[in-house]
Amino acid sequence: MEILKLNETPKRTSRNFNINNIKLENVEIPNNIGKFENLALIYEKKNIIVSEDVEISKLTYGLGEVLEDKVLKNSNVTKKLKINGKIKEDIILEFKLDKNNTNLIENIEIIAEENSQARIIIKYESEEEILGFHNGIIRVNAKDNSIIEIILVNLINKKINNFISIENTLSANSKVDYKIVDFGGKNSITNYYSNILGENASNTINTIYLGTDNQVIDINYIVELRGKKSNVDIKAEGALKDIAKKHFKGTIDFKKGCKKATGNETENCMLLSDTAKSIALPMLLCSEEEVEGNHSSSAGKVGEKELFYIMSRGFSQKEAMKLMVRAKFNNLLEKIYNEKIKEQILTKIDDAFNTNF
Amino acid sequence: MPKTNVNEINRNIYDIKNKDNYDFKIKKGLTEDIIKEISNQKEDPEWMREFRLKALEIYNKLELPTWGPDISELNMDEIATYVKPKTKLNSNWEDVPEDIKNTFDKLGIPEAEKKSLAGVGAQYDSEVVYHSMKEELIKQGVIYTDMETAVKKYPELVKEHFMKCVPIYDHKFVALHGAVWSGGSFVYVPKGVKVDIPLQSYFRLNSPESGQFEHTLIIVDEGASLHFIEGCSAPKYNKVNLHAGCVELYVKDNAYLRYSTIENWSKNMLNLNTKKAIVGKNAQVDWVTGSFGSKISMLYPMSILNGENAKTEYTGISFAGKGQDLDTGFKVIHNAKNTSSVVNSKSISKNGGKCTYRSLVRINENAKNSKSTVSCESLMLDDISISDTIPTNDIRTDEVEFSHEAKIGKISDKTIFYLMSRGISEEDAKAMIVRGFAYPISKELPIEYAVEMNNLINLELEGSIG
Repeated sequence: MEILKLNETPKRTSRNFNINNIKLENVEIPNNIGKFENLALIYEKKNIIVSEDVEISKLTYGLGEVLEDKVLKNSNVTKKLKINGKIKEDIILEFKLDKNNTNLIENIEIIAEENSQARIIIKYESEEEILGFHNGIIRVNAKDNSIIEIILVNLINKKINNFISIENTLSANSKVDYKIVDFGGKNSITNYYSNILGENASNTINTIYLGTDNQVIDINYIVELRGKKSNVDIKAEGALKDIAKKHFKGTIDFKKGCKKATGNETENCMLLSDTAKSIALPMLLCSEEEVEGNHSSSAGKVGEKELFYIMSRGFSQKEAMKLMVRAKFNNLLEKIYNEKIKEQILTKIDDAFNTNF
Repeated sequence: MPKTNVNEINRNIYDIKNKDNYDFKIKKGLTEDIIKEISNQKEDPEWMREFRLKALEIYNKLELPTWGPDISELNMDEIATYVKPKTKLNSNWEDVPEDIKNTFDKLGIPEAEKKSLAGVGAQYDSEVVYHSMKEELIKQGVIYTDMETAVKKYPELVKEHFMKCVPIYDHKFVALHGAVWSGGSFVYVPKGVKVDIPLQSYFRLNSPESGQFEHTLIIVDEGASLHFIEGCSAPKYNKVNLHAGCVELYVKDNAYLRYSTIENWSKNMLNLNTKKAIVGKNAQVDWVTGSFGSKISMLYPMSILNGENAKTEYTGISFAGKGQDLDTGFKVIHNAKNTSSVVNSKSISKNGGKCTYRSLVRINENAKNSKSTVSCESLMLDDISISDTIPTNDIRTDEVEFSHEAKIGKISDKTIFYLMSRGISEEDAKAMIVRGFAYPISKELPIEYAVEMNNLINLELEGSIG
């Protein structure tokens, strides 16, 4: 057992604000991780080369040395996907932690060659009662004119710690679009870094998070814009109930030379109980004049009027709240075309409201 | 294309140096003996002497901040923390020595006193050299005096409030302040008394390689109101000067306080100031702050809304030019039901200057039905400057309305085009936009400061910005 200090922000602020990093106690990092064999990898053989020869260099940011080293030196799943061409069918990686596969430490690398295009779904789930551990790295290298869409779904149970580090490199005219569903994990800690190098490159991140019981969600998105006319859009929508706690740290960093770049960031947190806690640190860092950067953040309870309206149609308060949350998440959910996964996500939302309020 | 040049602040008036003509200057450094000597010089009561020594002990234990601007060039062994000017406290400008009076004349203080102020305090280096207030306020029981007099004349009132709002263990420079504080103003406005005309204290640091550590303690009692203005400046020297003042404001139930500051320190100054207000039931504190000077500033006024329905507003502007790193912002803690806060911050960075907006909004569990709105805008006038926005929003209950928004960018081409399509020249359009950007803040300043600010952000109406 050790105290883990994770997910440092790129710029520190006052220590008293309790947002520069997250300290987790009693996190057990398994020494013997064993095998992980419950991975379903579905992909079109044509134009995709899958190997295990993944990148093992250090991340620019990452969650912290301890967890990063664990993945780089000791992973039990390594997958490198080299995409060359336009892929029509979704590439799917489904990881399921079960009693025989309790620890997942994966290192995934996705290389999108020039002019290639693909949608990749990465889903993490687990059996409801098992204890386990998840710690992964996903790297994406989007070369010129490539288009990559990643749907990242975390539905693991609330007994397992969930750690994930993402690092993207975007070349000229590339587009990298993330849709992230962050519902699972006892502590769910995400570090996301994009290095937008190319001219006209674009990165969008749409996230929904749902915190229930005593879950802790710590999100640290860092996007550095270097390419001219490059763009980033970050949108996070979340709901917290019970005594759940969320830290949202989102940094848009306009580096010198990214002329005419644009960056937008919004984060909205719906508080469903008076004991849930939401901390946000939406940072805008700017060393270039000719840019446009905006961020906004809001927090509050469910609108009384909307709630009243729905309840006046015969729904209970619990049902009405569930509908409000589903509506809030719908913008993202309607863009997940895989019906089976969408159904799983909706079931998780329903489950969250089937417990006591 | 010709360029419009947004000038940096004209510092001619502020840069007038007087001879370093002191009555007593403590040796440089920070030791127990030095603190005891300051205490002797100031003829402190025993409790204050002990307080200073305790603060020194805490100072030695606390670390420098691990965030914000680099202040590693600050070497306390090179700073004289107490400089006593060659004069006593006066209540008539004619009694103030010629060189000191001339300085304040050029800063327009005696003139402003005649025209638009109810009272004035003027500090030169470590001591207040002039203090005066209109007769009618004295009759109403208002106290406006220098801090040293207050310690001796109103010991109970001072003991109850002195460094209770800003405790000495808050951070390293507060502890330093507690050890070496000197000068500053004490204001007490009795229950129900409305002071309609502002009081103003002006702090001038003349001595090189020294520090100014004035303490401002204001108590606005129940139902009373006050507008207090604080100004500060110093001439430029080659070595670092330090300002680590402390402002403690107690705004009791149903009271109102407006605290305006124009900070125009010289560009060798490290301005590490701490300001905090405790706000009672139905009371309000408004901060209006203009930060133009200093090499490095770390300044985050704070409102603690302890009473139900308490309110606060922060309106601030920073202008960072070459070599300046202005790290400013606001902190608010909502600690009671129905409290509200409104933050409106603007910054302009030019010529390699760096502006950072850093803030905290915390709405605690017991602050049901509270509201907070934060807006910050940053304007970059060239591509060698830096502008950062680092806000922390900490919401701990559900029945709140909280929103925060921030914008960063240059002057919009579309807006220029729109104004030009209405027959305005490009130069005028751009100048108009910069003035318009600063207007929401300048309109909140006392008129003479608004004029000063417009002069400071002086536009040469030729060509384009950027």
